[in-house]
Amino acid sequence: MFSNIARYVLLFLCIAVIAGKRAESKTHHDPVYGDALVVGTIGEPSVLIPMLATDSASHDVAGLIFSGLIKYDTDLSIIGDLASSWDISPDGLTITFHLRKDAFWEDGTPCTAHDVLYGFKTITDPSTPTAYAEEFKQVLRAEAVDDYTFRVTYRERYAPALTSWGNMAVLPRHVFEGTLLQTSPLVRKPMGNGPFRFKEWIPGDRLVLGASPSYFLGRPYLDAYICRFIPDPATLFLELRSGTIDFMALTPLQYARQTATDFFQKNFNKYTYPSFSYTYLAFNFLHPWFQDKRVRQAIAHAIDKKEIVEGVLLGLGEIATGPYVPHTWPYNPDVPQYTFDQQRAAALLDAAGWHQIDTDGVRIKDGARFEFTILTNMGNSLRMNTATIIQWRLAQIGIKVKIRVIEWSTLINEFIDKKRFEALLLGWSIGVDPDQYDIWHSSKVRNKELNFISYNNPEVDRLLEAGRRTFDIDERKRIYGTFQSILAEDVPYIFLYVPYALPIVHRRFHNIHPSPIGITYNLYRWYVPRDMQRYRLSP
Amino acid sequence: MMERNTFYAFVKRLWRNKLAATGLCIVMLLCAIAAGAPIIAPYNCNAIDVKSILLPPSFQHICGTDELGRDVFSRMVYGSRISLAVGFVAVGISTILGTLIGAIAGYFGKWIDSFLMRCVDTMLCIPDIFLILTVIAFVGENVFNIMVVIGFTSWMGVARLVRAEFLTLKEREFVLAARAAGAGDARIIFIHILPNALGPVFVSAVLGVASAVLVESALSFLGLGVQPPDPSWGNILMQGKDNIETAWWLSVFPGCAILLTVLGYNMLGEGLQDILQPRLKNTR
Repeated sequence: MFSNIARYVLLFLCIAVIAGKRAESKTHHDPVYGDALVVGTIGEPSVLIPMLATDSASHDVAGLIFSGLIKYDTDLSIIGDLASSWDISPDGLTITFHLRKDAFWEDGTPCTAHDVLYGFKTITDPSTPTAYAEEFKQVLRAEAVDDYTFRVTYRERYAPALTSWGNMAVLPRHVFEGTLLQTSPLVRKPMGNGPFRFKEWIPGDRLVLGASPSYFLGRPYLDAYICRFIPDPATLFLELRSGTIDFMALTPLQYARQTATDFFQKNFNKYTYPSFSYTYLAFNFLHPWFQDKRVRQAIAHAIDKKEIVEGVLLGLGEIATGPYVPHTWPYNPDVPQYTFDQQRAAALLDAAGWHQIDTDGVRIKDGARFEFTILTNMGNSLRMNTATIIQWRLAQIGIKVKIRVIEWSTLINEFIDKKRFEALLLGWSIGVDPDQYDIWHSSKVRNKELNFISYNNPEVDRLLEAGRRTFDIDERKRIYGTFQSILAEDVPYIFLYVPYALPIVHRRFHNIHPSPIGITYNLYRWYVPRDMQRYRLSP
Repeated sequence: MMERNTFYAFVKRLWRNKLAATGLCIVMLLCAIAAGAPIIAPYNCNAIDVKSILLPPSFQHICGTDELGRDVFSRMVYGSRISLAVGFVAVGISTILGTLIGAIAGYFGKWIDSFLMRCVDTMLCIPDIFLILTVIAFVGENVFNIMVVIGFTSWMGVARLVRAEFLTLKEREFVLAARAAGAGDARIIFIHILPNALGPVFVSAVLGVASAVLVESALSFLGLGVQPPDPSWGNILMQGKDNIETAWWLSVFPGCAILLTVLGYNMLGEGLQDILQPRLKNTR
């Protein structure tokens, strides 16, 4: 094979180079300015204002342009960002933020409490098309006490209060006041207060951010952050290998197999950490078959989650048992589990009235064949493979599954919002706070709301309401523990897996410290030693 | 009309034409594989085995395994059924439709001809693959729809061929004789002219199978064709693309299968053309 020969030649060269460079790579460098990070992504952002963004591609970039009052530390605790400190009143209803005085917008205007108040007013304005208004509607009163003091008072005790003051509700008032946010051209070329500034966006090609010299934690060492949009994972990977991309998220196959070469070990660093997300199979509760708990439990017994984690994620993930990520404080490992047991599944289906079987081996009840469609989004081969495994396993217990892969916005607008689906294979990114009122509460079933499966369990409603009204972490742990047990017993979703995030970064970038919140939290501290710098930004 | 001894003569000439004979052998081999799939395939083509993901070719799996540990050879064998079925049904539809439209246009002429040929021109303006993608997006992606859509978007070539044949044939004496004997339009079209116009139609149908197989593979490659778990050469290739550096067998084997099939039909088609229309030999 020619490729094998080429690989050996390459291997030889790598070994030769490693032998020559080993001594040098150990030396310690002082951080220096310069160079650019080229990130390759599959998705292109849609807007760059955090409160308007609904996709992770937009949030990733917007998060570098906008800083909020608070942020997460590497141990998942809350630390100040724009806020240098805050006080919480003894009754837990009022939070007073004290803002740093050295934060500025891009044009040099100081970033003050009035900007936070303006952001708050915008996000709670019913005409603003945002998905995040709910947590700000809990606020009774918000006020800018002086230029650098911002105070909010809540109607009732609201546990996720503090965490909601990230970068969602901070906007430059002097720029936006008097304009309509959603129609403003600044939505796609914003002015921010974060470590990077918007420079250029060529749709379908790339987005360029430059370092902000006035960033309050110090100018980033990197001159630029360039995001290239390459909608195909295989092409993205080839770009990485040819050196035109420095940073991307790998698929498990790319992580375990394709980057297991000397070339990648020499030139790149790979990281793994559990992502704050899980993948699930959801049932539509408006469909009569899935209203029967035995049917949902039977399907849960027929799916081998271990097989999926092993086969689809190649072991680079964990089995999910509920809507929280293992090893975080709300996670409850002692919930009812559904072991892979086809006899049990068959017995449950028999009990639910699906005992007749037709000539194709498909179960029948009242003349209807047990046949349903799983919808999933296009462009995610992990979900596609997961769906194929589920399809194969369910066929073995007499359920015929069709898989339909639909482009993202069509899936949301035409199928999920209109509740035109039987089952969905999708994922949720979750926050650090365990409040999941929006996803599970029976009041959240209207158009565009997130309980699109129409789940309704009064006990779950009660727990969700109680969970957000106390600050006592043990009490919350107990409440959300019970909540997870009920979900596990009731199976509105089959929680499948928590995938690991698998970023890969070119080796020339220093100061990367992996943590539970990922690696990009200190992007403004990354640097490239001068002799390894590759790009120079032309003025 | 072709009679028995002329049929034998035809087969003899076909066999003597090396191009056509080779093509025919390949096509027959593929048909045999498709028909005998359950006997030939060593594994259930949909059986997932996460313990043997992306294994290279070996004695257990002669073409290796895919991302879900399924046997690639078995999937290719079953995939040949889909490729051939799509080829034949799509070409069946396009040939019948094209012949009908071409015959009507060529026979009646005047404004009917102008109208139908402008329809053909309009259809030809739109690049095939985009037209098919658009239609598939509306009607939903499954094997049946693909066959029908390919059929309904590839009849224009046949229509032009048949019309051209009809334009010359309708002026011939035997048509005049039939009309003098009191034959109606339908009788003249179907009984008298059409059988004489079938040679080029036959050739274009055989060539059409090759292009239908390619279109099906392309659609499946784009994820708009045959849906999982059904195997098709195109969707095996799609997996191959993502693993091209570490699992060459996912691209090479289905790629070769497509190549061989298209080659087979093209050779047969070219050979038939030599035999049936020697006068056209150097005009293509």
